[in-house]
Amino acid sequence: MAIPHFLVVGAGIVGAACVRELARAGNRVTVIDSGPGAGLQGGTAAGMGHVVVNEGDTDTLRLCLRGRELWRSDAPPMSERDSYWETGTLWIAEDEETLLQLEGAQKKLESVGVVAERIDGRQLIKLEPALAPDLAGGLRVPHDGVIYAPTAAREFLNASPKVTCHYGVSVKNIGDGIVELTDGRNFEGEAVIVATGISVLSILGEAGARLAEKVSLYPREGHLAITARGTRILDHHIVEAGYQKAAHSTSQAGSKAGSVACAILPRQTDQLCLGSSRRPGEPGPVDPNMMMRVIDRCERFVPSVKTLPILRTWTGARAATSDGKPLLGPVPGLQRTWIAAGFEGLGITQAPAAAELIRQRIMGESCTLDPWPWDPARPYKDSSALTKQENDHA
Amino acid sequence: MRDSICIHVDGATLRVESHQTVTSALMRSGISAVRKSPSGESRGALCAMGSCHECRATVNGVRGVRTCLVNVEEGMTIEREQPVLRTSMGVSAVHETKSFETDVAVIGSGPAGLAAACAAAELGKTVTIIDESPGPGGRIWSHRGSPPVEARPWIERARIAGGQRLQGYSVIDGKPRELKVASVKDGTRHRVLCSSIVIATGARERFLPFPGWTLPGVVGAGALQSLIKGGLPVSGLRLVVAGTGPLLLAVAKLAVSEGATVVVVEQASFADRSALAIPLLLSPSRWRPARELWNSLRGVEMYTSSWVTSARGQQHVQEVSIRTPQGIKTLEVDGLAVGYGLIPESRVAAGLGCEIDEDGFVRVDEHQQTRVPGVLCAGESTGIAGSESALDEGLVAGIVSAGRNPRSRLLARVRRHRFWGQAIEKAHPLRDEVLQLAGAEDVVCRCEDVRAGEITGCVSRREARLIHRWGMGHCQGRVCEGSSMCAALEGSDSVRPPWTVAPPEARIETSR
Ligand SMILES: Cc1cc2nc3c(=O)[nH]c(=O)nc-3n(C[C@H](O)[C@H](O)[C@H](O)COP(=O)(O)OP(=O)(O)OC[C@H]3O[C@@H](n4cnc5c(N)ncnc54)[C@H](O)[C@@H]3O)c2cc1C
Ligand SMILES: Cc1cc2nc3c(=O)[nH]c(=O)nc-3n(C[C@H](O)[C@H](O)[C@H](O)COP(=O)(O)OP(=O)(O)OC[C@H]3O[C@@H](n4cnc5c(N)ncnc54)[C@H](O)[C@@H]3O)c2cc1C
Ligand code: FES
Repeated sequence: MAIPHFLVVGAGIVGAACVRELARAGNRVTVIDSGPGAGLQGGTAAGMGHVVVNEGDTDTLRLCLRGRELWRSDAPPMSERDSYWETGTLWIAEDEETLLQLEGAQKKLESVGVVAERIDGRQLIKLEPALAPDLAGGLRVPHDGVIYAPTAAREFLNASPKVTCHYGVSVKNIGDGIVELTDGRNFEGEAVIVATGISVLSILGEAGARLAEKVSLYPREGHLAITARGTRILDHHIVEAGYQKAAHSTSQAGSKAGSVACAILPRQTDQLCLGSSRRPGEPGPVDPNMMMRVIDRCERFVPSVKTLPILRTWTGARAATSDGKPLLGPVPGLQRTWIAAGFEGLGITQAPAAAELIRQRIMGESCTLDPWPWDPARPYKDSSALTKQENDHA
Repeated sequence: MRDSICIHVDGATLRVESHQTVTSALMRSGISAVRKSPSGESRGALCAMGSCHECRATVNGVRGVRTCLVNVEEGMTIEREQPVLRTSMGVSAVHETKSFETDVAVIGSGPAGLAAACAAAELGKTVTIIDESPGPGGRIWSHRGSPPVEARPWIERARIAGGQRLQGYSVIDGKPRELKVASVKDGTRHRVLCSSIVIATGARERFLPFPGWTLPGVVGAGALQSLIKGGLPVSGLRLVVAGTGPLLLAVAKLAVSEGATVVVVEQASFADRSALAIPLLLSPSRWRPARELWNSLRGVEMYTSSWVTSARGQQHVQEVSIRTPQGIKTLEVDGLAVGYGLIPESRVAAGLGCEIDEDGFVRVDEHQQTRVPGVLCAGESTGIAGSESALDEGLVAGIVSAGRNPRSRLLARVRRHRFWGQAIEKAHPLRDEVLQLAGAEDVVCRCEDVRAGEITGCVSRREARLIHRWGMGHCQGRVCEGSSMCAALEGSDSVRPPWTVAPPEARIETSR
């Protein structure tokens, strides 16, 4: 019997993780990306790489947790500089009110089995002497960490047998397992997994347009900066509590000015990555005012940030969905076509879990997580679309 | 007047002469390595003009100061880079940020910048000159004490014309009517508000990697010139000056006049360079300097069609191998200066949105105007054609920025200079051998210690950058992007703030 052949469009962290899942299940996989290689364009090339479990609803928490588990146990081989580094996250509350919210967050984390430890103001300074002395307290999530996503994407592919890569070619349209390139070529496979980030719905023809009416996908820009070597004055990833609220709330469309919250990530290269902002829109050139706001906000939590030389700044876009959840599953109205996109600011964390779920569903295996919350058919009352394609492949 | 002053280097007190850069004071005291690379190699100054960032140290408590751009001062403390302490105590801004208002902001005080500033000021405009170096003059007129004769009238004219001088400041960010500058010494930020901008940021040296090029004591050819002009004594030293272009001869002349024994190693062939004869004949103003140059180099050992293949030494370069038509020669040396011509410094122009051509030059029209309204560019960043050309282009830019029309005679002169520049370029084509000297184990990106072997097989700059950290260091690719490995990669890097990595704005207050 011929070996099944799958197509993966988009070799960001999500697409690359899907390739590995399908390839090691014994399939042949062809990857297509418009960039010069895996993980070199889009969100994956821009993201901070914080692997983090702390998010509003329990579904998302579960997806993050599974992602983190897989990063810890099943990451592709990488150099020490790029591989999973368990820094832990320290969520910081500026005042008592925010500290109360962190208590709630802790309960929620514990309900899905995540260890989290409350830290008072004085312990905070002992743990991280570079923090401002007037902070109310925090929540420490020990197993969170950092991964360098561009290398991870590349190594997902390198670690996979039977993979063919086509770089520098753009996909124009996808329908029923057939991929049409802008250069006129066509590819056909057992199934197509579309993981092109923000552009995903626009290349799915009418089915994409119909889906977009129910769940829209839009870019949310972020600004980041990196300091020079010799500046790693923190051990934990420092995030201001309330970050997620600002980062992922769905009713932010009106805020053209954008919002800013402190997130500081230590890197194995003895540097700090400083973030971040969010503003609706495609990533443009670095806006010095926005960058300044980000650095000022980081300074509020880690005062000596202003004493560190900034090496480089950049922007990136997160692909956000109108209901705040990724689109993960078969495209309603199409045959043999699957979508994996819309991970907002959590795509690096969730990529391995998302890829596992896609493989399990395509191969007709039982799923580690309940797939329904992320299924693209979720806005349709009738859930028959959910099971139909799976039966095709089982 | 050169007084003797005290500086403190890693806690030890050194007595040094005043009026010299920290780099040259350190080298003079036998310290050629000032920092450790990410993999722990000793490194020292390479370019001596602010682009490589290899000479950076903590000066008076300020991190990341390029010591080649700062003069020694009494009581100055210099420490090699240490990790930052983990403390939240007393952070303070060093100085207040000011705004300067001016009609014309001129970036660079080399011949082009000075001429532009003079022309604009004499036509009634207020002018602000911004330059990273400690004094005016740019590359060719950099000096210690009194400026060279050719430079004096310009520096004097600029002084009389008045205007603000932000010497020792890098332009790190901005837009057409507003520039952000940072002090190279303490990171202080200021704003310059202006109606027009003349970019005169000149050129930097092209460095090509070869085995041993990261050893302290291996510097650029122009770098050796700057160091000698900045006060480094070379009397009695054995120096090899290698690479390509007319700069080598100028550097050799200077080193010989200061008492060094010099061997010149030029990669271009005699046949290539004889192509210069005709343009030289057509350009009488260059006859005398050319004759003087040749006379001063009589007796200097000189190799053409030859190049340095490797340098060796413990902590400092001691031995150099050169490939000559007669075979490999090994020389014992006290120093090696290598530069493979000049490449334009167009980061500021790119940051301001000007169009840059495929060779990195800023595109300008006959009036030195870029595509961005109110932004002009003059001098080496528009084409490598020497200081006379830079002066004339600067005049044009200055006149145009003052709202006037330059005379057609001046414009015709600028065109002739361009022709000369192209002739020089053609006479020194880089040969394939010098582009392929680095072996797999040799560092090609000095800031991040990326080795040639790591990026062979890379297709794009993005891949080299994101995956292998090539070009991700302090100089942001200024050194490594000149190499042939970079030219072979697809795509380009975009410029974003900070256009030059500057010391931080604030410091941790010491409670002493
Ligand atoms: C500033 C910022 C900070 C972030 N920080 C974090 C963090 O700390 N932790 C975390 O978990 N997440 C973070 N994220 C989010 C994370 O980066 C993204 O969710 C994730 O990278 C998305 O990966 P992806 O594979 O879905 O998409 P992408 O990485 O965008 O990949 C899509 C790929 O598809 C290709 N492509 C697009 N269109 C086409 C086409 N028509 N034809 C062919 N190929 C195409 C692109 O070239 C690209 O390679 C951050 C994002 C930003 C912007
Ligand atoms: C290392 C070197 C040595 C040279 N030696 C000779 C020689 O011996 N003989 C000869 O005929 N020609 C020599 N040249 C060529 C000579 O420099 C040019 O012909 C001429 O000086 C060009 O003038 P310019 O005004 O365009 O630029 P430059 O003289 O290079 O001046 C540019 C100025 O801009 C400043 N600058 C750059 N970027 C910034 C920034 N972001 N912010 C603030 N300031 C900035 C620099 O500090 C510099 O002072 C040399 C060139 C170099 C690079
Ligand atoms: S040499 Fe400085 S970044 Fe490569």
